[in-house]
Amino acid sequence: MDFKGESAKNMVNKKASQRKGRGVKAWLARVFGRIPLIGWLMGSLGAVLIEYFLGDALSYYLGLPKIPVLFGSSIILKKPALIPGALAYLLLVYALPVSLIAKSMTRPANRLARLLASRPVSLATLIHLGLFYLILHLWAEISDYRLLVLKLTMIAVMLTLSINVINGYMGEFSCSHPGFMALGAYGASITTLLLCVDDKLMGPALLPAAAGPWLFPLALIVGGIVASLGALVIAIPSFRTRGDYLAIISLAFLFIVKSLIENLEFAGGPRGMSGQPDYAGLPTVFIVMVLCVWTINNFVRSTMGKALCAVRDNELAAEAMTVNTRKTKIVTFMFAAFWAGVAGGLFAHVLRYVNPGSFGVQRLAEILAMLYFGGLNSVTGSIVGAVSFNLLSEALRPLELYKWIIIPLLFILVMLYRPTGLIAFTEFKPRELMRPKE
Amino acid sequence: MDLFLQNIVNALQWGSFYALIALGYSMVYSILMLFNFAHGDIFMVGAYIGFGIATGLLALAAMAGLPVPGWLVLVLTIIISMFLTSFVGIFIERVGYRPLREAPRASAAITGLMIGIILETGNLALLGARRLSFPSLIDTVTFQIGSVYVTNKKIFIVAVSLSLMFGLHLFIQKTKWGMAMRAMSYDFQAVPLMGVSINKLAPLTFAIGSGLAAAAGILYGLAYPVLDPYMGILLGWKAFVAAILGGRGSILGAALAGFLLGFIEIFAAWIFPSTFRDLIAYSIILLILTFRPHGFFGQAHSTQLRL
Amino acid sequence: MALLRVDNMTHYFGGLRAVHNYNLVLEPGHITGLIGPNGAGKTTVFNLITGIHTPTEGNVEIEGHNLIGHRPHEIASMGIGRTFQNLLLWRHMNVVEHVKMACYSQLEYGLLDAFFGTRRCRREEKRITAKAMHLLETFNVADYSSRLISNLPYGAQRRVEMARAMATNPKVLLLDEPTAGMTPDELNRMIDIIRKIHRDFEVAILMIEHRLKFVMELCEKIQTLVFGEVIAEGTPTEIQNNPEVIEAYLGKEDVT
Repeated sequence: MDFKGESAKNMVNKKASQRKGRGVKAWLARVFGRIPLIGWLMGSLGAVLIEYFLGDALSYYLGLPKIPVLFGSSIILKKPALIPGALAYLLLVYALPVSLIAKSMTRPANRLARLLASRPVSLATLIHLGLFYLILHLWAEISDYRLLVLKLTMIAVMLTLSINVINGYMGEFSCSHPGFMALGAYGASITTLLLCVDDKLMGPALLPAAAGPWLFPLALIVGGIVASLGALVIAIPSFRTRGDYLAIISLAFLFIVKSLIENLEFAGGPRGMSGQPDYAGLPTVFIVMVLCVWTINNFVRSTMGKALCAVRDNELAAEAMTVNTRKTKIVTFMFAAFWAGVAGGLFAHVLRYVNPGSFGVQRLAEILAMLYFGGLNSVTGSIVGAVSFNLLSEALRPLELYKWIIIPLLFILVMLYRPTGLIAFTEFKPRELMRPKE
Repeated sequence: MDLFLQNIVNALQWGSFYALIALGYSMVYSILMLFNFAHGDIFMVGAYIGFGIATGLLALAAMAGLPVPGWLVLVLTIIISMFLTSFVGIFIERVGYRPLREAPRASAAITGLMIGIILETGNLALLGARRLSFPSLIDTVTFQIGSVYVTNKKIFIVAVSLSLMFGLHLFIQKTKWGMAMRAMSYDFQAVPLMGVSINKLAPLTFAIGSGLAAAAGILYGLAYPVLDPYMGILLGWKAFVAAILGGRGSILGAALAGFLLGFIEIFAAWIFPSTFRDLIAYSIILLILTFRPHGFFGQAHSTQLRL
Repeated sequence: MALLRVDNMTHYFGGLRAVHNYNLVLEPGHITGLIGPNGAGKTTVFNLITGIHTPTEGNVEIEGHNLIGHRPHEIASMGIGRTFQNLLLWRHMNVVEHVKMACYSQLEYGLLDAFFGTRRCRREEKRITAKAMHLLETFNVADYSSRLISNLPYGAQRRVEMARAMATNPKVLLLDEPTAGMTPDELNRMIDIIRKIHRDFEVAILMIEHRLKFVMELCEKIQTLVFGEVIAEGTPTEIQNNPEVIEAYLGKEDVT
């Protein structure tokens, strides 16, 4: 019952009401179908507030050792005796408050949504995002583990979305994303280690400590730029070749980058670098992720960005219709690599440690899995893919090894029933998402 | 000069592994137009099956008190493991790829990746995290030819791989099934119309590819006797590079490109510090592809991914 | 001055001579037809003019500007629009996006505007959407505007392709077999459409066509290409009565 899930459920409900189905779905649509997004956000806010103030007491009365960290997944998988308590907790803290508050707020929420719809869409977006951030923040206050999972999930969203620009919108099979990520991670880490902290590798800080957090965006941008310069290595051969050959060019690039950073002695070589300053707090990661989603979504919805799809579907026709395909390819690779690099920079500063081992073919498999699971050519799909993959792999953590049998099986099932992924070829329209339902 | 020759011997051995694995990729590609990303893990499974068979045979011989020579065990192991691993390939084709034949190529590729993860984890769950060491079936004998040292294992490895490739070549050129495969790689649409069932051809291709991967696995175990469940990943991806470098679906090309990759890697590690191996080797590959964007034996037509 | 001028254009594919000494002078507002048997090199001529291949020898000029060495998209934005024999459309894009895409070079916003969705970007998008809708109405396909291209009937796809070509603001329109695969009924409609764009948009047209009825009706001048060489050039009646043309082309082909 994460909050992305709430909005997805919301959309399912909307669809169900249009289909005039029977049974549970129709009932859900009747009861919840008219709640706008902002209503659900209010409900979720209520739920996290309840957890924030009453969570400890509630879990004590329900016989739980502490607040269930990730929706009780570890309790359900590990301690069957506590399952009723955990379920009761989920019901009391999440399900009931969310649905009751959202339901009771239907009318004011719709009034608010109408009011916002008449204002510029940026204002409405900011209000929704602010509310959403508040919910995440309160939810993450409960434990450091939640905080880490949230940050890593947001980074995964950025990675999945940026690879979607290349593999989905432009239709190449690029395997270089971990390489871009590595370039970004190292670029940003070297910047902060050099400028902001005293450490063994880079020597004393060159700038006063107070300037550090303000320079962090700059460090991320440095990482992004390093990554997008690296992307030129793939973008230029892409003028002449496509498909499989470009796939191995990008794969070769990944091996080269990994081998390069393993040999960078001043950056720790194979041991990696540690001691990155703790600048990547939840607000920073959230803002950067929102920027990433926003710019990518803007780009792919503009005609300039649609040129990617034209290049993918028929490059010859694109050229004949005045599309500068070379520029399009370079821009695509550099733009996607930029965000992958920024994500890598965040990754390094969230874990406060990087080593070349994090950017190998396993990471590639993970990114590709998130992308194709969520669906090509779809911002929503990438978000859903990254969030569900991350939450699933955290929730199934108690299963240890078997997690890596269950998740792949699940993915294969999805591929069998929806070969293009969960949500493919859709446009992400914030205005639609936030519209009033009455 | 001596070192040069020595490295040629090493490169031949190292290239054999790439070539054998790349052949599997290439064969599946020529029939189904997709890359079986689980192939590296089939190589791993083959090595483990080989380990099981070899240990089993040795134990059996010990129980019966027969003085079975090591080379016999080795040959038996290779044959039995190739046979058994081909069923792994057939199984994967049946459950993973056949339902996705009409699906976008990329989803099939992801399915392959996922099957690979299942194979790795399944192995880990069955056998635990300890590394197994492959039994040394034949004693290492070192020959000195001029000033170059060659072990009998190296000769064996290269000889077995070359004869397997030759066997594959004969199969493809001379048999009915081989002919159907060639026809299929020319025209994906037409062959099913000519009465060759793709539902028989595809499993056969997977079986052969997996058998070759198993042989590569055992030979690898012979040369580097430590087995671990993730040994196939990197080797698999690199053999994938070789398969495309040789031109998609070109059997000869895949074999040659496998050896070429072996040579580039070994010589990069010889000439430069060995930690620079991948950096140099793949920069060379990148340069080759930048100037010959369609590999060595592939036709110069651009492919678009079937979305 | 001629609008489109091709001088002594020759092209080899490897050792194979595809086009030899091709010349063309297209005046503003004129319609010229290019006929010839299959494999005569007609589409190659189009590909050479539009820059997909660079001619081995010869010169191509539009309004005095040399086109040799320019990339296809530059040539397209210099005023040469084209359609394709086998409809090169973009499978995953809807109809209005097709036409908007052809306005790519007219977009007056930069990449940063696209990334940040600036006001200028939105204004420009609105402008080309209006232009695209207008073109779709001209070609009677406005009703399909938000449909995926692959869900359209064949004739409508052809018209969308033409609307797309017109969106590049061409001075010269190259039509590669605009009636391929059409029924006689659709054929007559296509004649009207071509007349209409010729009149309304004041473009010169060069078209490859197999159906002589169509060519005779529309073109002021016809060139006959056989094995990459123009063997005859003239008015429709001259061509119809030229013995060489009859032997090389009319005699073999099924004339409709």
